[in-house]
Amino acid sequence: MILTAQQRHLTTVFLKIFLRDRRSIFFSLFFPVIFMTVFSLSSSREQEAISIGIVNDSSNATAANFVQLLTESPLFDVTTGEAALLRADLVAGDQTMVLELPADFGDLASGSTAEINAVVDAAQVAQLGLIMPVLDQTLLAIEREFRGIEPMFAIVIEDVQARSQRYINFLLPGLMALTLMNLSIAGSGFNIVEYRRKGILKRLFVTPIKPLDFITSIAMARMLIVLVQVSALILFAVLLLDIRIIGSFLAFYFVIMLGTVVFLCQGFSLGSLAKTQESIGALGNIVIMPQIFLSGIFYPIDSMPEWIQPVAQLLPLSFVSTGMREIANAGATLMEIAPSLLGISVWFVISFLAATKLFVWKEVAN
Amino acid sequence: MPIIEVTDLQKQYPLPGNKSEKFYAVNGVSLAIAQGEIFGILGPNGAGKTTTLEMLEGLNDIDGGVATIDGINVNKNPYKVKQVIGVQLQANEYFDNINLEELLSLFAALYNSTIDPMTLLAKVQLEEKARAKPASLSGGQKQRFSIACALVNDPKVLFLDEPTTGLDPQAKRNLWELVQDLNASGMTIVLTTHNMEEAEQLCNRIAIMDHGKIIAEGTPQELILEHAPEPPEAPLHGDLEDVFLVLTGNGLRE
Repeated sequence: MILTAQQRHLTTVFLKIFLRDRRSIFFSLFFPVIFMTVFSLSSSREQEAISIGIVNDSSNATAANFVQLLTESPLFDVTTGEAALLRADLVAGDQTMVLELPADFGDLASGSTAEINAVVDAAQVAQLGLIMPVLDQTLLAIEREFRGIEPMFAIVIEDVQARSQRYINFLLPGLMALTLMNLSIAGSGFNIVEYRRKGILKRLFVTPIKPLDFITSIAMARMLIVLVQVSALILFAVLLLDIRIIGSFLAFYFVIMLGTVVFLCQGFSLGSLAKTQESIGALGNIVIMPQIFLSGIFYPIDSMPEWIQPVAQLLPLSFVSTGMREIANAGATLMEIAPSLLGISVWFVISFLAATKLFVWKEVAN
Repeated sequence: MPIIEVTDLQKQYPLPGNKSEKFYAVNGVSLAIAQGEIFGILGPNGAGKTTTLEMLEGLNDIDGGVATIDGINVNKNPYKVKQVIGVQLQANEYFDNINLEELLSLFAALYNSTIDPMTLLAKVQLEEKARAKPASLSGGQKQRFSIACALVNDPKVLFLDEPTTGLDPQAKRNLWELVQDLNASGMTIVLTTHNMEEAEQLCNRIAIMDHGKIIAEGTPQELILEHAPEPPEAPLHGDLEDVFLVLTGNGLRE
């Protein structure tokens, strides 16, 4: 990349402006780091055990076995005790479910099905779906053991991707894409509006600098800033949160740079449309907010309402974050993420045309 | 041959509220400014002073007429013109977090040249502020720094847009001295002002603008003789500014 002396000097100045603004550096890194840390802590912990109480009115071994099996299950935190006490706990919200084993529990001699009374709090029904299959399984296992039946089927779970997929792995590439979007749009759009308001643009353009040199310098400076910031996040994730980027770093950075160019163009467009600091804030939100929530940063696009998915999938940030995620988590090559690259390229053309069309030079300077 | 020659300069804008109608911000301005002059443009707000300057500086498109500076046609070669002029604008804010020395180096780089910022800062009495940020300067210092920025390319013509507006009398006089020093070295200076004393003391020639036209032009003496009513009897005392200066001294405050 060959820059003229003018462009080099101006790029350096833009970098200095950013580096000396400690507060904005702090905030641009603070939130991604906090998000990453919180989610990596919460997603690495075991699923929290569900509290159930068991009232064992039966004294036989089957009942004891049942209680034993549930106690051993990591899914449950079992308390045994008096019915009245446990029901009170349930009402207080300390227990999710209270199981009352009848006196004839597992008493085959009776020949009838033993009924277990499950007392639940209606507010907790969401948990029922999780608890019931396990209870069924446990009872079935006991029954088989008791009757001496070998299970006919067994499911062995094999992870074809052979790697752990924690939420943080999903989240991280998206957070990086989000960070690069914010830095790019703020760096071009918001800054231009501020420079215009202060009369700095006008002052610059009574010197012989050409508009393109000015834009190139801002874009270069922002690109470097984005690369350094995202690299800092990657380092943090790899070194401290033990997260791996499976695909090629080169491909990963390629998508980052492509995305940065798209969002820089969008920023320039916004900066040209907005006349004041307030309107750039509003315009920026219109562009940024939907992308934060709809681009599959925090949860997959597949899990969104179906009618919104086609729109969500076409957002620029969706293409960037999907591309980055596939490289980072699935080791995809650039060929394999061709659809994302195509999407980013289309957005690049749109944004570039918009930026050059909207960026009326004289008006920007006035 | 004049260094600045302007013939029938025009600038029109759509009328606010009625886009099909036009109004002329500058309506047929012609000027000839000689090398080495200090030329003042006076006029009420909205008279078209700043628009005229902006067209000469290449900041605003020229809608009609011709302007040449140092023999270069401003319409055709705006970038060549920018090489030979220095400009101080009314707004004098700069990038945050960049100090005076760095800003001067930046402005020099924009002309593809390098300068010694300290020499230039010394010229405007700001050497001690080399590491200061522009936002921390006083009004007078800001204006002097703006002029320093306009000097990085050693311009033949220096444009000053209301250079003393908002300055205290000491800072104002200090700035006049700076302008006179620059002019003494052969620099042509074109300035706009609302300050009649400034026009009278500083300018060799003056043009008075109103409604986009030049309505009078000449040396301050000529204009006074031609247009001013008979002077009232000489006042017994000086004016309030004399009182202010006697009481607070001539020393520059910042």
